[in-house]
Amino acid sequence: MAMNGAPHPLQVHRLPQPNYIDFVRWVPPLSALDRLVAAAVFDSSSSTSALQILSVTLTQTQTQTHPADLTLQSSWPSPSRITALSLSLLRHKPLLAAATADGSIHLIAADPVDLGVDSVGSGAIHAGPVSGIDLVEGGSEIVSVGDDGRVNLVSLNESRLSHRRVFDGNGLVGFAAAKWASPAEFATGGLGFGVQWWDNRKPGGPVSQFKGNWARGTASGIVHSIDIHPSRKHTVIAGGSSGTVFAWDLRWQQQPIILSGVATGEAQAHSPLESEVWEVRYDNYMHSLNIGNISSSRILPVMTCSEDGILAVVEQDEEPIELLAEPCAINSFDIDGQNPSDVICSLEWESIAILSRP
Amino acid sequence: MPDLVSDSGQSSVVPLSPDSPTPVVCPLHHGLKPPISRLSLSWSRGNSLRVSVFRKPAEDGEAGGKVVEVKLGDGDGEIGDAQWRRIAYGSVSPFALLQSRKNSMLSMSRVSASSSPYGAEWWDYVMEYSREINVLLGGQKLPPSSVIEDPKTVLKKVEEPNCLKAAWELMEIFYADKQIQTWTPERLLDWLADYDSLLSGTQPTVHSKLVNFEKELVGLQAIEEDAKYWEAISSALAVGWLDIAVKMLRLHGSYQLDQLGSRELENGLVEAVAVLISKMPRMRPGLAPGKLGECYKTKPDFIKAWETWRAQITKLDCSAFWVQCDHRQTREGLKNLLQIMLGNANILSSATCHWIELHISHLLYIRPFTMGLESMYSLAQKCMQLKPMSSPHKLMRLLLGILGENIEVVLAECSRSFGPWIVAHAVELLTAGSTQADILLHEERYNLGGISMEELHRLVYAQVLSSHALTWQIAPIYLTSCMKQGMGLLEILLYKQPVQHNKILLKNIEICRLYELDNVRSKITKIAGVHQWKHGKKGSGVFWLQQARDEVRLNRIAQQLFDFVGKSISDESFKQWEGLIELLGSETRTAGGLEFLHKYRDFKRSLQKVRDGIATAAAQKAAESLILLMKNPSTPHRFWLPLLYDSLKLFNWQECPLLNVSQTNLLLNKLQGLSMARLRPDFIEADLPPQALSSVRLALATNLGRAILEE
Amino acid sequence: MEKPVATLDKGTTCSSWNYCGQRLATGSIDGTLAIFDSIDPASSSFTCTYRSRVREVSIVKVVWVPPEYGDAVACICEDGTLSLWEEVVDDTKSLQWKLCKEFERSSNQVLDVQFGVSVTGLKLVSSYSDGYVKVYELLDPLELKNWQLQAEFQNVIDSVSKFGKAACLSASVSWSPQRVENQQLSFILGFNSNVMQLNSAKVWEFDQDHQKWLPVAELALPGDKGDPVYAVAWAPNIGRPYEVIATSTSKGIAIWHVGLNPDLDGRLSIEKVALLSGNEGEVWQMEWDMSGMTLATTGSDNTVRLLQSNLNGVWQEQVAFEPTT
Repeated sequence: MAMNGAPHPLQVHRLPQPNYIDFVRWVPPLSALDRLVAAAVFDSSSSTSALQILSVTLTQTQTQTHPADLTLQSSWPSPSRITALSLSLLRHKPLLAAATADGSIHLIAADPVDLGVDSVGSGAIHAGPVSGIDLVEGGSEIVSVGDDGRVNLVSLNESRLSHRRVFDGNGLVGFAAAKWASPAEFATGGLGFGVQWWDNRKPGGPVSQFKGNWARGTASGIVHSIDIHPSRKHTVIAGGSSGTVFAWDLRWQQQPIILSGVATGEAQAHSPLESEVWEVRYDNYMHSLNIGNISSSRILPVMTCSEDGILAVVEQDEEPIELLAEPCAINSFDIDGQNPSDVICSLEWESIAILSRP
Repeated sequence: MPDLVSDSGQSSVVPLSPDSPTPVVCPLHHGLKPPISRLSLSWSRGNSLRVSVFRKPAEDGEAGGKVVEVKLGDGDGEIGDAQWRRIAYGSVSPFALLQSRKNSMLSMSRVSASSSPYGAEWWDYVMEYSREINVLLGGQKLPPSSVIEDPKTVLKKVEEPNCLKAAWELMEIFYADKQIQTWTPERLLDWLADYDSLLSGTQPTVHSKLVNFEKELVGLQAIEEDAKYWEAISSALAVGWLDIAVKMLRLHGSYQLDQLGSRELENGLVEAVAVLISKMPRMRPGLAPGKLGECYKTKPDFIKAWETWRAQITKLDCSAFWVQCDHRQTREGLKNLLQIMLGNANILSSATCHWIELHISHLLYIRPFTMGLESMYSLAQKCMQLKPMSSPHKLMRLLLGILGENIEVVLAECSRSFGPWIVAHAVELLTAGSTQADILLHEERYNLGGISMEELHRLVYAQVLSSHALTWQIAPIYLTSCMKQGMGLLEILLYKQPVQHNKILLKNIEICRLYELDNVRSKITKIAGVHQWKHGKKGSGVFWLQQARDEVRLNRIAQQLFDFVGKSISDESFKQWEGLIELLGSETRTAGGLEFLHKYRDFKRSLQKVRDGIATAAAQKAAESLILLMKNPSTPHRFWLPLLYDSLKLFNWQECPLLNVSQTNLLLNKLQGLSMARLRPDFIEADLPPQALSSVRLALATNLGRAILEE
Repeated sequence: MEKPVATLDKGTTCSSWNYCGQRLATGSIDGTLAIFDSIDPASSSFTCTYRSRVREVSIVKVVWVPPEYGDAVACICEDGTLSLWEEVVDDTKSLQWKLCKEFERSSNQVLDVQFGVSVTGLKLVSSYSDGYVKVYELLDPLELKNWQLQAEFQNVIDSVSKFGKAACLSASVSWSPQRVENQQLSFILGFNSNVMQLNSAKVWEFDQDHQKWLPVAELALPGDKGDPVYAVAWAPNIGRPYEVIATSTSKGIAIWHVGLNPDLDGRLSIEKVALLSGNEGEVWQMEWDMSGMTLATTGSDNTVRLLQSNLNGVWQEQVAFEPTT
């Protein structure tokens, strides 16, 4: 694995939390002074779940300021465990969508003044746990998918969430991830390393799909997370079982580009990532300036977190850069949109890590 | 928590006490109105026991029963659950690192065939381990009381002491830290300074004395008049808290500017004693900032310095100035302090409260050159006689076990007072520090099922970890460090995880992957597959059964599809099983059955196209598929009629006959065969309308006629 | 700290947790079967998610089917019948508990039933009030409907003798918790009856060569063989060189070490390592923890006792929990 060859080192701050953290997301700051985080938490002693807004308290040392603590600002009690979390900005206000284990979805708005969080609408949408949701950028429309094989478009109608079922797999398929590509198109991923591309305007089923081969036994797996770059809508990045990260380009649908893991290709001699990849996200950090210079067929860098505790940046035909190697799983992470050098992750051992890259 | 034993709630139901005469009786609160009719038990994961309590049926609107969960050996009042988990998480890495170092050293020694497997660096590793664990045990940091230091604050605390940390440090001092063997008494002194307050709960200590005095201090004007002032200083000095003793001495009235002139001599004596106290020679490499004394690293230097210091004290003691000092309390108080430093046993005894304090004072002033555990132990016995305790504190029981060099007592004490966590982790210190412990802990015992005590304690701790949803994933680290039974328990633990939740299942599978437990992996994926299949998630079900490589069940599923196809099917359900065929893949199952299903699917598809439009080309294709199917020997006879019946439309095709003469004849022959087969007893009647056979025959006849005309 | 995890319905008579402790099935006096679940696997608060009156008479025992065969329970009713209920999605796509097998009624009541999993499939052993046991085999691993009677015999060492007029009050069966799949299937069985020969707990093992169940050990000392057996429990073996089995009779709770390999006669060596006074009166239930080191017992004195061996191999009662409001 390539060493992080930066001049000054990466800073990592691990902050133990009183709860298990299912998901973390940066919340775009409401004022210049705040660093805010949204966390889906689970309290094992009371068996309760909540969505919390936490502010990062900074400590000044001689040379720098670093995160010292997370302070609870507000909390929204969730009726059951949060299974997916998405965030968007609606008229400059953070809007959060939380999906839960009982199949319901909740839209939660954060108040810019007192940082309070309140549900603005909710609804029972899925049978069984919702496994993936995504809020459309700058809006409140949600795409949600579940183990039940259903794909729903959820929208807010006078404090109620109503949904339109786009597809019902009748239990034959199971989805685990969803992501908007544009206000009309989105992608989903799930069992058997499958990725599907949908278009609102063309109902009835996916417009195109990549079918992994199920019968490959352990060489097959589940796509847990997908991402689409706003400037590269034709490419879907998917991360899943056995350290698999691949890019599926709509222009060359039959040949996904394997960035890591076994996926559908030949088992590689060694794969830096071996266990479940829980989340993938395009990493804008290094390439934010010169994205236009990169050939559109080249896959942009992708950050991944995995069950074996690795947070890494994966690039096509290059050794991944390992940012963090924890003794426990990294269950979710987020890259700060405003300040892409900062990454936040939730760790299995009831803690949050904040990284700031050089 | 079931209060299995005396003072701590840390019950560990560990087989350790060689003869516990009577079982502990604990209440089990269920909150139901009596009468109770019966109980029912079930062990959950790890050591959590679930007890169902059933009430006798009564018409009183009360619940019919309750299920209560009792977790054994888990958490006591001192450390909260969340803190316990933090300790559990934090100790994984140091433990795993030490194990891997141990293993590599063992394998190195096997190669080099040297006598001792552990080199000098082993001690560094053990100490590193011990320190990392020690840091984890740090209590709640107390907020700084005030920015400006209050001159009247005698005791300073940075963190809340806790017994667990105190116990760990005791074992570190006596077993792990080989560097300090020469200055153990000084370490014990430091230890007591940190943890004396913990002992105050059961009986008075120097610490509680000082706390009480500190409270009074604010109200006192001329404190040197007060006997308590001198008592407090003597006590602090006796247990070696030199900085406190000096600080308090300097609160003496003679230091005040307005009195300096009139009490010059008195002040000189006070200061002389203060200087002597702060110059006390100490057998230790260094001191924390703010602590007093002069350090000596080697024994000869120390002895020399000690003798000089003692001579200075004796000289001061015999000084003529005392006669001139007319402040009685000061004179007596200071003289008393000199006596302490000269090692006057009676005065030491009256200055200290707890036997361990007396013990420390003896080590400091009477037997400064004492080293061995044996002499410390006999001294402890003596001190306990002088200052008996009503019920010994758990830390003292532990200390006595250590001083008495009785590993079994130490282990039993750790286990019953501090719980399975400390035992599992302290074993590393114990075995490093004592050959006796090493042998005792690694000896395989038939009574324990062939495992060693070390392994037993790891298994017990792993059980505690297993019983909590957030810590079970740590248990494998400890289980895999067990030579004999760890894997067995790990397999059971993994098997007992709820696999219908994908995330837990995947985390579980990851553990199987790490430890190459393929059989467990296939077991749990099988359970997941069956669960999903039966709960309507057929896709997931097939996926997990494929992961489990469960050919038996997958074949059964293929068989079920097969049976399903036998019936004429609607478009909707066609979609259903078409999806399933897709999922099952193309691997051969049920002897060519799947091949048939695939062909049948193709046929159905083209038939559907025919229905949608009236394209003759499509119909032609469907007819070809039909012929292929009917010719294929793998097509089961029972599908013949449904296939033909589905194809009625093709036979009656308006534009042209789709089948030629020979094809039609083939189908007619099959139909003939079918009519014959119907007479056999094992014939399975297809789920079709009764006139199906005749309508097919009629259609085929029509087609034949047209085909003949065509040719 | 004891923590309430579920509140049971009025008239509940029996309860049983599934393999992972995430589902609770209860039976009640009016024949209602209830299922308790928690939405989240990390939660320890269980609420009733299904309740249906499946029988006209009281349910006296529920036993979960091993998870490899689905979510299903066996119910023994007061009238001695045995039926299997399974949670499946039906044609209307709703999740339902359905009757999937009703074992044929006979004049003899079913007293206890337990499931054993082997490479070849699922087995069910049921014991009857006439001192007989029946071993059934599941024919289709995906359907709990079809069972085949594999064997039927009485709990006696000497297979020639038959006791026609046995009247058994209770029976207790416990399968050997297998870890290795190819291990020989065996179970322990004891009766509380009026026929001395039936009572003592015996280990039965399936002889592949002769396709026959054989008694391979009798867990009773010569003087105690006629003692009625209240409960038996076979401990999980995570690596001991011997098996541990607990049996309870009016004389107390006995802990046995049983050899792993049969001698020339095909018998397993046995050693009684402890006899503890146990619960006053009858012991109804004994359960081993997952390591096989701690035995929990309860009985007519309504007290939970935990038994363990110390380092010297001496078994002791460590704790007693007395239920209180």
